[in-house]
Amino acid sequence: MQHAIQQIVDGLAAGSIYGALALALVLVYRATGMINFAQGLLAVASTYIAWSVWRAGSPLIAAVVLAVAAALVLGAFTERVVIRRFEGGPPHTAVVATIALLILINGLTGSIWGYVSQPFPSLFPSGTVTVGGVVLAIPSLATTGVLIVVVVLLQLLFLRTRLGLALRAVADNADSSALSGLNVGRLLMVGWALAAALGALAGVLIAPKVYLDPTMMDTILVYALAAAVLGGLDSPLGAVVAAWIIGVTENLAGTYIPYVRDDLKIGVPLVAMFVILLTRPQGLFGRRKAARV
Amino acid sequence: MNAARALKVALPLGVLVVLAIVPLSATPYTNYQLSLVGTFAVAILGLNIVSGYAGQISLGQSAFMGVGAYAAAFGVAHGWPVVLSFVVAALLPAAIGALVAIPAVRLRGNALAVVTIILPIIAVPLAKRYAGVTGGSEGRSVDWAHVPSGTGLEDDQWRYYLVLVIAAVLFLLGRNILSGRIGRAFAIVRTNEAVASAMGISAHRYKVVAFTIAACYGGAAGFLYVLVVQFASPDLLNFQVAINMLAALVIGGFANLWGAVIAGLFYVYVPVVAGAVDPSRTNIFYGAVVLVVLFIVPGGVSGGIVRLVRALLARLPDRYRRFTGVDPQAGPASPVPPQPDASGPEPTPPSLRAGAGSRKEPQ
Repeated sequence: MQHAIQQIVDGLAAGSIYGALALALVLVYRATGMINFAQGLLAVASTYIAWSVWRAGSPLIAAVVLAVAAALVLGAFTERVVIRRFEGGPPHTAVVATIALLILINGLTGSIWGYVSQPFPSLFPSGTVTVGGVVLAIPSLATTGVLIVVVVLLQLLFLRTRLGLALRAVADNADSSALSGLNVGRLLMVGWALAAALGALAGVLIAPKVYLDPTMMDTILVYALAAAVLGGLDSPLGAVVAAWIIGVTENLAGTYIPYVRDDLKIGVPLVAMFVILLTRPQGLFGRRKAARV
Repeated sequence: MNAARALKVALPLGVLVVLAIVPLSATPYTNYQLSLVGTFAVAILGLNIVSGYAGQISLGQSAFMGVGAYAAAFGVAHGWPVVLSFVVAALLPAAIGALVAIPAVRLRGNALAVVTIILPIIAVPLAKRYAGVTGGSEGRSVDWAHVPSGTGLEDDQWRYYLVLVIAAVLFLLGRNILSGRIGRAFAIVRTNEAVASAMGISAHRYKVVAFTIAACYGGAAGFLYVLVVQFASPDLLNFQVAINMLAALVIGGFANLWGAVIAGLFYVYVPVVAGAVDPSRTNIFYGAVVLVVLFIVPGGVSGGIVRLVRALLARLPDRYRRFTGVDPQAGPASPVPPQPDASGPEPTPPSLRAGAGSRKEPQ
């Protein structure tokens, strides 16, 4: 039982990292109606920035803050220079554009920082705490805590600030927002910037575990995509809950189902996503949409 | 038959003749690479059918190609007749494609692309796990398709011709599928699903059809791959292969048969040219060129060529234009080739409209 609780906490920690990236995907989807397949590579680039700053001798926390700031700029830049062209166009063109970005950023990070895996320091002390007889890893608890703080901050931003109201208005109806005097283009840029910042956070959280290289986020992106789709694509809460479910199920399945083991555990959430979507095509928390001719 | 029609028949025939002569004097390595171009052109044609013609982005084509390759390698290793290997290599992925597509097409457009990623992601560890069938991480090598004695050809030439003939047949088949009822249904499903269902065309059903055909072509390409490379490994299943094929297709041109051929050329030669300097160049090149294509020539290389040819033909004097069948009023061609039997009356022959505001015939 103790072992199971440890697995669940570790699963929540993994799920929190998927959740941060899934939140980024949801922000982009709500703002611009597209799935950003390059979200993971944007996170990788930001993490490399943190790594470079840290290697230059700066304290880790400062490097991370700088990387998140750089990610804000990177996200805004990507939206303005590339994505703006494809907003409101056919969705499959937008998907292809983000895939092109994925390939391009992979090549760029590879040529700047190389393809050799680099160790990345953890933000949290390694070690354990004992709660009620169960030994829990501090990084796992802290990672989950970080995601909870992020969700609360995002909720405050969206529900309590003028910027949040404007962002919600644009996500809801861009045309009416423009007619009410909101600068839609700039707000979409803000959406992409916030998403990239969340991605950067996911990047620095996962890098100590998997080592830093340009393909670091590929599997994380798949989990995050599964969480975002499962959560309904337009629901931040849904994405986080789905990410936690995914993190916990894959960890438990990998540990307790002999057939699954470590190599196939990525299949568990994906198959689960597939099965759930069959009964609820709009996702767990998504809203049904009626198509109009 | 007007000149444009004649060109449509003559061009593929001419290309085929050139392609039939080339291997006789080329080096074995060139023949090997050209055979790979044909192989990937078939796989990308499949991708083009589902993504270009039916408008459903698929990120899983590599999985179908890999399954086809494993089926072919397994068949060869167990001494199956070649035809049986080919049929299994084409139909097994098609069956998987249909099984996945039947539930998956119910998802909203964007989610479908996400689901297609699952296939390569799960296929790679599965292939490594079942080493008895697949050869595990090392893959499965085979030794077959040697040239029959007495032909005077070398192995590389023989395999090249096999690929050429099979690919040509598959392209012809694809052309016929896409220019008929199914092709028109794909076009309307891609453009507007609501309109499609209003016209009595089930978007779900045709998406399943598109996925199944795409998987079948992917599997056939897997067979060709094993024919050329004599090897099937988990690397072929990789997600990266699927997205590079998609990138090559965008560069070659969506919804155009020649787009798949050009994409095959890009897929095989870009890593050779760019990778000679630095492997990351391949990705930078692909990413940048795809974005440039999306920004500037949405039809890709093939769409660009079509537009260029039409623009040039439209500048011809009237009496030539009459024979080429190009309507100067039509303006630049859309990246999507015209659907031959699209509903509605036949367009007015250009000769009847000649002179209506068009340029004067130079004397």
